[in-house]
Amino acid sequence: MNPLGRSWLLLSGFVLFYVIYLLFGGLVFSSLERPVEEQLRRDLDALKRRFLNQSCVSAAALEHFVGQVLAANRYGVAVNPNASSDASNWDLTSAMFFANTLVTTVGYGHTTPLSDVGKVFSIVYALLGVPFTMLVLTACVQRLMYPLVAAPLHQLQRCGLEARPAAGVHFLSLLTLVLLCLFAAPAAVFSALEGGWSFLDGFYFCFISLCTIGLGDFVPAAKPEQDFKQLYQVAVMVYLFVGLMMMYLLLRTFHKMADLHGLTTFLQLPRCEESDQEEDREPIVENGQSAAAAAQKRPSYNSISDR
Amino acid sequence: MSTVAAPDLLDPKCAAHNSKPRLSFSAKPAALTCEDERDGGRVSVMRWKTVSAIFFLVVVYLVIGATVFRFLEQPHESSHKLAILAQKLEFLAVHGCVNSSDLEDLVQQVVSAIRAGVNPSGKSSNQSSLWDLSSSFFFAGTVITTIGFGNTSPHTEGGRIFCMVYALMGIPLFGFLLAGVGDQLGTIFGKGIAKVEKTIVKWKVSQTKIRVISTLLFILFGCLIFVALPAVIFKHIEGWSALESTYFVVITLTTIGFGDFVAGEKGGSESPEYLKYYKPVVWFWILVGLAYFAAVLSMIGDWFRAISKKTKEEVGEFRAHAAEWTANVSAEFKETRRRLSVDIYDRFQRAASIKRKLSSELGINASVNQEMTPGKRALSANLGEEREAYANLTLSLTPVPAALSANGSLFLNGLSPDFAQRLEVAVVENSQ
Repeated sequence: MNPLGRSWLLLSGFVLFYVIYLLFGGLVFSSLERPVEEQLRRDLDALKRRFLNQSCVSAAALEHFVGQVLAANRYGVAVNPNASSDASNWDLTSAMFFANTLVTTVGYGHTTPLSDVGKVFSIVYALLGVPFTMLVLTACVQRLMYPLVAAPLHQLQRCGLEARPAAGVHFLSLLTLVLLCLFAAPAAVFSALEGGWSFLDGFYFCFISLCTIGLGDFVPAAKPEQDFKQLYQVAVMVYLFVGLMMMYLLLRTFHKMADLHGLTTFLQLPRCEESDQEEDREPIVENGQSAAAAAQKRPSYNSISDR
Repeated sequence: MSTVAAPDLLDPKCAAHNSKPRLSFSAKPAALTCEDERDGGRVSVMRWKTVSAIFFLVVVYLVIGATVFRFLEQPHESSHKLAILAQKLEFLAVHGCVNSSDLEDLVQQVVSAIRAGVNPSGKSSNQSSLWDLSSSFFFAGTVITTIGFGNTSPHTEGGRIFCMVYALMGIPLFGFLLAGVGDQLGTIFGKGIAKVEKTIVKWKVSQTKIRVISTLLFILFGCLIFVALPAVIFKHIEGWSALESTYFVVITLTTIGFGDFVAGEKGGSESPEYLKYYKPVVWFWILVGLAYFAAVLSMIGDWFRAISKKTKEEVGEFRAHAAEWTANVSAEFKETRRRLSVDIYDRFQRAASIKRKLSSELGINASVNQEMTPGKRALSANLGEEREAYANLTLSLTPVPAALSANGSLFLNGLSPDFAQRLEVAVVENSQ
């Protein structure tokens, strides 16, 4: 089969598998969550009825009020009575936290811009900030590759391991390290600091944030009466950044390992390459190898005529 | 045929925002070199400086964003807070049999229901579930694409654990898919652009202009198909304003996904028939739109990179100039110092020779001559050689009359910048 046909076949295979995967996920989520939702609905109905029975409030008035609460909550306005008047969702550190969720594309949604100008600004800010942040993350990871990946691999090989097992061992140890330091430890911290979070909740939060999914059902440092709220928020921001960096590093290590084990060539995927080499390379370093790599640089969308 | 490679496929964000927008699927055998290792030691010093510079810039960017958001949003938030308080008070005033603690209870329950994703308004019977198959499908899609709206989220422990495992496997899978789609998209678009470029080339426009035009066309058409058109559709179906629709499109396609606006939430009994196909179409649009946005964002990233490279080049040029200038200055300085020391020794020699002549004229014993010990004589001879070597330099720097330079002994004196003195000594020596 010619390569083009094979690539199309693989692509449609991927799409099909993806759809099946989604269906499967939908089924499982549905069966897990629906009963809980039903229960919650019934509880809420009972509460409303009880409220209506014992008071002079008409159903219409109650619905109207609930609608108002809903609207307020959608705007992210705290409806708690205990919220102090000067605690805002938009003080400097909270706004910075929001900006951080914007540029890392996590996007919790616990606070969202209310004004029209705010929305426009969010669009512009995101369009510039997201590639910028990705650039920073890539740059940092590139620098970290040497001490965290290349050097240990070299050490392992010096100890007598072959390339393939060395890569596997290294990846597993890196994975364990990341799990311990970036998932388990912060999960414990969060479950201790946040009232009502179990360890699983903390772990779930770490995972959802570091994959940049950011559902927003759990957001730390969001309670208005939190102690040291500013410091806490800054700490969470730092954790997010470091965590994202390590996740990316982990992915690249995995990709390299897959390269070595021939997975990527089997699936007709590109091998991991030192993609950011042209950045910061001193001219003195460019020997024949990197010059050849530079010659094969990818054209971008705006230089299609290079083909 | 292009020889480009697809992005890092295991991470959709990586694929999306990698520095180089890559187009086709063809595997490029990349050498897993040890280049990092070899020059990590030396070059990494330079690299960390750049990284910290960029990091500092990001922090500054965040602070700027925070201040602007705060300035824009806090007034709105305050007004909404006041509004809900007023509504509560009004409710309590109108309905006297309700006491405030009961009301607070109700509000709390409503808020928790909202957080659980249940819509507390209206009767529950005619509301569609948030976890029926199509909505769960949609939710699974938001998890895998890492958009993560959050309007629905799992609340059971089992649901959360499954969500984590599901995402762990699904995100790389989606990454592959995104790469493939982006690939095909790039090919289709590339063919279109090639046709356009063929017509433009007839006008004999320069290469850079062609590139600029093709970029602009890419942005324009992409925005039309993936941003403007869906925004119009959303505005019509969801009832949002134009700004809100655009906002939703951008926030979704950059995978930020706040969840304050979610397409397809309007379900229930009043939805028309075609809405059944709405959600799958939305999902398909997200898939292709994500690929487009990945390309756009990586293009922006490339611009940043180009700007930083240019700045670095200019800084490098500046540094080179500065180094050159410093080298020149220090060379001149050294030369001046050398001349001065030569000059000083020269004067000493002249003084000694004058003393000798005077003493010989006055008939003082020749013991004075022995002041010029053999070592000193050798030194003076060497110095004379050295000075002859530098003669060219110094001659060019100091004006020496041609007549004087011809004479050997006077040559030594020629190095003195002081003309009058030279003349005097010359007279003295000539008179010998």
